[in-house]
Amino acid sequence: MNRSWRRHRHWLAPTLFILPGALLFGVVIILASIRTIWVSFFDWDGVGPMQWVGLANYQQLAADPQFYVSLKNNVIWLVMFMLAPPLGLALALLLNQAIAGMKVLKSLFFVPLVLASVTVGVVFTWVYDPTFGLLSLIYGWFGATAPALLSDEHLVSFAVVIAALWPQVTFCLVLFLAGLNNLNEDLIGAGRVDGARGFAMLLHIVLPQLREVSFIALAITVIGALRSFDMVAVMTSGGPFGSSTVLAYQMYEQSIFSYRFGYGAAIATVLFAIMAVFIVWYLRTLLRPEQETA
Amino acid sequence: MASVEIQNVEKHYGGFHALKDVSLTIDEGEFIVMVGPSGCGKSTLLKTIAGLETVTSGRLQIKGRDVTHMEPGDRGIAMVFQSYALYPHMTVEENMGFGLRMAKRPKAEIDAAVARAAQILRLEEQLQKYPKQLSGGQRQRVAIGRAITRSPDVFLFDEPLSNLDAALRTQMRVELSTLHDRLGSTMIYVTHDQVEAMTMASRIVVLNGGRIEQVGAPLDLYTNPVNLFVAGFLGAPRMNFVAGHVTSASGKAASVTCGDSLKVDFVNLVEAPAVGAAVTVGVRPEKLRIGNQATGPCFPARVRLTEYLGRETIVYADAGALTTSGSDSGTGVFTVQIGDIQPFMPDAPVTIGFDTDAAYLFASDGKTLSAAKPVTKI
Repeated sequence: MNRSWRRHRHWLAPTLFILPGALLFGVVIILASIRTIWVSFFDWDGVGPMQWVGLANYQQLAADPQFYVSLKNNVIWLVMFMLAPPLGLALALLLNQAIAGMKVLKSLFFVPLVLASVTVGVVFTWVYDPTFGLLSLIYGWFGATAPALLSDEHLVSFAVVIAALWPQVTFCLVLFLAGLNNLNEDLIGAGRVDGARGFAMLLHIVLPQLREVSFIALAITVIGALRSFDMVAVMTSGGPFGSSTVLAYQMYEQSIFSYRFGYGAAIATVLFAIMAVFIVWYLRTLLRPEQETA
Repeated sequence: MASVEIQNVEKHYGGFHALKDVSLTIDEGEFIVMVGPSGCGKSTLLKTIAGLETVTSGRLQIKGRDVTHMEPGDRGIAMVFQSYALYPHMTVEENMGFGLRMAKRPKAEIDAAVARAAQILRLEEQLQKYPKQLSGGQRQRVAIGRAITRSPDVFLFDEPLSNLDAALRTQMRVELSTLHDRLGSTMIYVTHDQVEAMTMASRIVVLNGGRIEQVGAPLDLYTNPVNLFVAGFLGAPRMNFVAGHVTSASGKAASVTCGDSLKVDFVNLVEAPAVGAAVTVGVRPEKLRIGNQATGPCFPARVRLTEYLGRETIVYADAGALTTSGSDSGTGVFTVQIGDIQPFMPDAPVTIGFDTDAAYLFASDGKTLSAAKPVTKI
């Protein structure tokens, strides 16, 4: 026993350690994904018998105007979320100064990370409230009336995204702060000796060192934008008239409220396909440097 | 005109006094090597000259310009870092041209400067490679090339060879000296390696505890250290130091007794110590002699260990109650260096002696009391 363990432990030990995670991932992610794609070919209310309909769910989806509203909103999320990495970097550069009291300030910036996103949603719903919200107060100071952001079908998505950006920017801020902490001091010194300063220093010396952090921040932001759900659920429930619905929320609504699990699964499959593009790009970029060193 | 002038520079890090009233004038074309134990302030001094550290007080001039409050890029310096600090995302060519690019020089000028540096440092084949594709010695040369392209008034080197293996270090040492001869530029070089200091420097600056202990040509410092610290720092193996006390003194002469087996009569002292004062006698390992031929002061000892280094022999000898302090071996034994191979039996009784002229006398505060010795002129 002892001897065969010693002979095989170089592969046995890692396997044993990875097994629980792999099992969980296999059941919850892989199996569930395959099952979802399978369900998308059926008409199913979630409890009764499943009826094979082939691609009918997808054909219906292609003709569903709500689907295009959701898709458009996902694009708005994606584009606006791209502000999070640069804003996070800018704040990180600002907060990365050796000034007294900076630690207190930093921890204040971390607040949205501690809050549940549902809480952030509720807080912003109050801020946007046209009768007693912070926004209406500010408008009131100038003698203006605040727009009812969450009931305006053209502005509602932007209002929700701005709320969601708050924790997302903070997340990028934390990533970049950690990255800035790991800057090579000699490289900065060499840059200063070479006469790089201000923006040139940032562009040629600092940013290249933050490449990996930026990549992670970008990838997580993209995925965060695509799987946006909780903020929409808390702040608008997709309203008014479905104008702030995103794909993930539409899937949830169709499956849970309308008992159309086959249709919901079809939406999930489309969302999965969109995400897969980014995930493939992410994995390719992530795995490439490892191949180089190998 | 002095190339670099350091005037009364002080540096505090919070409560730590890193540089204490440092003043130094460096002439055009000198190769200055700053040495000292770790934490002595040599790197801090180099960084203040570079402008990477600010000074608390004092003044810095380079070629007559006051650079005390200038940015590093404006000082007319170039620096080679211990870690090389090559930009990993730039090719060798881009690394070497970066300083000129930041100075907004025309492309033709940058290309010419890079080509010239690459030719001097034999890097023509590597220009399109990235730092991670280069060997340690090549990276080192790129770092030097990056300094050369900027044609600085002063080159600064921060322990540039300490990451190289021994063979490469010797090679780069020779290359750097050759480079200095070729460019004729002022170079300031920080190291903890006294071989580098002795071989490369036109003048050595010995630092200790943030203060300059002594400045001078390598052989001057080696032959006539101003105090016990410099005497102990330069020279490997280290000088043998023996504690003693003055038994009699008259005029510029004094008799010193160490333990109960060694008595040295010094003449021509710089100043005579008081009778009874605690002093230290120092003799370099190569000035000690083993055998019966001893004419000057001598004492009995037993061979503890012998190291045969091919062209020389190092003998560690135990003189019983007569012990040395602060030796390389960490014990109280005497270190004797013999210029050829001589066999010694372990535990063999020997007599160790030396000429009084070759001995140093240090006061209790470390100051050298013995007279200056003649220095071999090169």
